[in-house]
Amino acid sequence: MAKNVIRLDNVWKIFGENADQAMEAINNEGLDKAAVLERFGCVVGIADVSFTVPRGEIFCIMGLSGSGKSTLIRHLNRLIEPTAGKVEVLEQSMPDLSDKDLRSMRAKHIGMVFQHMALLPHRTVIDNVAFPLEVQNVPKLKRWEISQHALSLVNLGGFEYRLPHQLSGGMQQRVGLARALASDPEVLLMDEPFSALDPLIRRELQNQFVTLTKTLQKTTVFITHDLDEAIRIGDRIAIMKDGRLIQIGTPEDIVMNPIDEYVTEFVQGISNLKLISAASIMLDINEETLPASMDISVATRAASDTSLDNLIDLSIASELPIIITDSDGKDIGVVNKGTLLKGIKGDE
Amino acid sequence: MNANEEVLSLQKDQQQSVTRFAERRGEYYSKQFQAIQSVNGITYSFNVFAALLGPMWAATRNLWSFFWLSAIALLFSFVQLGIGLSGNLGSDKLAQADRLMAKSQEMAVKAQVALEAGASSATALLRNSTNLKTAAENAIKEANLEASGATSYVIFGFFLLLLTVLVQGFSANALYEKKYCRWRKDYSENSGFSYPNMLLGGVMLAIIFPIVIYRFIAAAPVEWIMTFPANKAIFNGAASWLDGGFDSLATSGAGFFDGISYGVRIFIEALEVILVDTPWPVTAIVILFMAWRLAGVRVAIFTAAALSYLAFLGYWEKSMSTVALLGASATLCILFGIPLGIMCAKNRTMDSFARPVLDFMQTMPAFVYLIPIIAFFGTGKPPGVLATLIFGMPPVVRLTSLGIQQVPASIVEGALAFGCSRRKLLLDVEIPLAMSSILAGVNQTILMCLSMVVIASLIGAEGLGTDVLMALQFAAKGQGLLAGLAILACAMIIDRIVQGSFKPVGKPGH
Repeated sequence: MAKNVIRLDNVWKIFGENADQAMEAINNEGLDKAAVLERFGCVVGIADVSFTVPRGEIFCIMGLSGSGKSTLIRHLNRLIEPTAGKVEVLEQSMPDLSDKDLRSMRAKHIGMVFQHMALLPHRTVIDNVAFPLEVQNVPKLKRWEISQHALSLVNLGGFEYRLPHQLSGGMQQRVGLARALASDPEVLLMDEPFSALDPLIRRELQNQFVTLTKTLQKTTVFITHDLDEAIRIGDRIAIMKDGRLIQIGTPEDIVMNPIDEYVTEFVQGISNLKLISAASIMLDINEETLPASMDISVATRAASDTSLDNLIDLSIASELPIIITDSDGKDIGVVNKGTLLKGIKGDE
Repeated sequence: MNANEEVLSLQKDQQQSVTRFAERRGEYYSKQFQAIQSVNGITYSFNVFAALLGPMWAATRNLWSFFWLSAIALLFSFVQLGIGLSGNLGSDKLAQADRLMAKSQEMAVKAQVALEAGASSATALLRNSTNLKTAAENAIKEANLEASGATSYVIFGFFLLLLTVLVQGFSANALYEKKYCRWRKDYSENSGFSYPNMLLGGVMLAIIFPIVIYRFIAAAPVEWIMTFPANKAIFNGAASWLDGGFDSLATSGAGFFDGISYGVRIFIEALEVILVDTPWPVTAIVILFMAWRLAGVRVAIFTAAALSYLAFLGYWEKSMSTVALLGASATLCILFGIPLGIMCAKNRTMDSFARPVLDFMQTMPAFVYLIPIIAFFGTGKPPGVLATLIFGMPPVVRLTSLGIQQVPASIVEGALAFGCSRRKLLLDVEIPLAMSSILAGVNQTILMCLSMVVIASLIGAEGLGTDVLMALQFAAKGQGLLAGLAILACAMIIDRIVQGSFKPVGKPGH
């Protein structure tokens, strides 16, 4: 892939009055979070985070509330300044930008969508979408033209002159997305954009979002507290806990090789794993799925009502595909690692 | 753990926590609290220490409201008892009776002498003597009556004391339990058993009780207990020092004060030219048109009615100059008030500085700051406007600041994330969102300015206020009421037009 659009190196964020002293103490004495709180009254928000995001990738950061993910994403457009470390976006070091450059960077190159929409309640939908363009002093007619296009991208044509409070939550969030897309930025920051929406709308918006960003080739950092969503959307996922990224990898990596118990617990929590049985994802037995060269007699066998969860365990133990049998013990299908992953992702 | 064990462990926790709260006699309080907490209504729980030691118990246990209430009740009963027992009741009457009796005897002796001498005054003297004797007897009767009242004082005092003791005893644990609940949710609540507090309570009681009881029992208490021995010289010195300060400030700053005065005068005069010197049909038409276009038909109809009231009762000119005065004050208030409010919202230091000043401006009675205003700016309309400014500015400053602070942080963050500058943030996000609060401030300011019009007329700011003032002086009820209604009409016209013209668009979402 192309060069990295976003690059973070050993970023720390410590909240509190004595943040600098606390940082020094952490570097010299290796204090942990609790000790920092006790000695300096400072809260460690982000601890030693490094990652890169190549162009066009959707990078999901998954963590529970309080894990620091919202703090982390705000470093990327410098709504929050890091205490230590490097933050580079589009090869610009964010902490070193002047106020003016920072504003133009935010207006032109970084779009952001918030959990609580953060639309301007006194402005019409189209003027909300046009806000980043207005900041860049784009003439009115031009910015309306662009905003109209952005609104049509999110299927909101015809709602231009409504006020935000006249729209439903899902529509408001699509306005937020249109606003983030309006100035055609390279980078999209999504701060739990779909968390406040109901499950059906969320699913719909997730799909719309993935299609949209892939066609527009946006580099996206996507925050979520929902591993299902991360797996559904992300090219890569980073799991965050207590301000640290504890594992970064593709969805397959995360599901197959959780690095510790914490991640394991999450992976187990994926609803697909318990709900979907082998019968619903298995492939027919034929030459392609089960080459004759393979010795079927030694392959692992599982009943058709085995859950994905158990299939994963079986698949880890063996390199061979798993043969699925019916209640009479007859071979009726086969599950290989590819189908298993598809099943987990829930595409089918 | 089964349910029974859970209850037991809960009880044990409770006992430990009450012990930690009470420090001493934890077991006793834990039992009492448990009794109180296990019933919804009133529980029988009597605290002997609280009953007998009342305020001292309360002080030691940090229950200061209990301390004061029981100290007052005890003091009251002690005073009753003291008055009843001290035997001073009717003593002044008795003394009077003694005096009268002595006089009467003196008269009787004189009458005897006169009678023996055969003087004509003898009968008159004798009559005097009997009269005095009757008066003395009456006085003795009254004294006895009062003295017999002493018993009722004693009885009343005793029962009050008994009642206080009982109430203290029965209420103490219930109140202490309430305090315990407060302490559970906030450990900064004072708790425990404190010797310093016991000492403090003891010292206060030792000072208060003797002085009060002495004051009521003594026939003629010492003078300094009754009135504070104030020093007149301090007052005179301070007053004349302030006089001198004002005078020298007024002379040294004459140019500055005259400059302000002059600026304000030009502003008022310009407004007066527009409102008063323009022929009335033109002014009326413009006002009506403004009301219609800015605030709608209903406001226009109301305005027409109010204007005709002013015109037909002959208040036209006076009301126009009142509006000019008001307009000048309100405009200046808003012109300075809104930026000040924004600064207060953005800057904490500014806010902590402005808050007490605004409180001062609003609380100080208007008549008091008329004094320095006359000293510095003289009399007439400009000082009237300045006085109005002091009174009318605080609401717009406060409500602007409040409105800006209440703009949701998430919306501000959203705007900043798209590269919004501070200036654009203020003008296009914060002020529009704070508009309804700012308008409420403007409305308050206009109304407060209007209420100052009458007071400002005291220092020569002529207009409708002068009419009210005159009516007040001559007790002309009808005239005063009509002029007052005219002021009201002016206020409502202005307020309705301003409110109508700034209808905020869109409400904060969610």
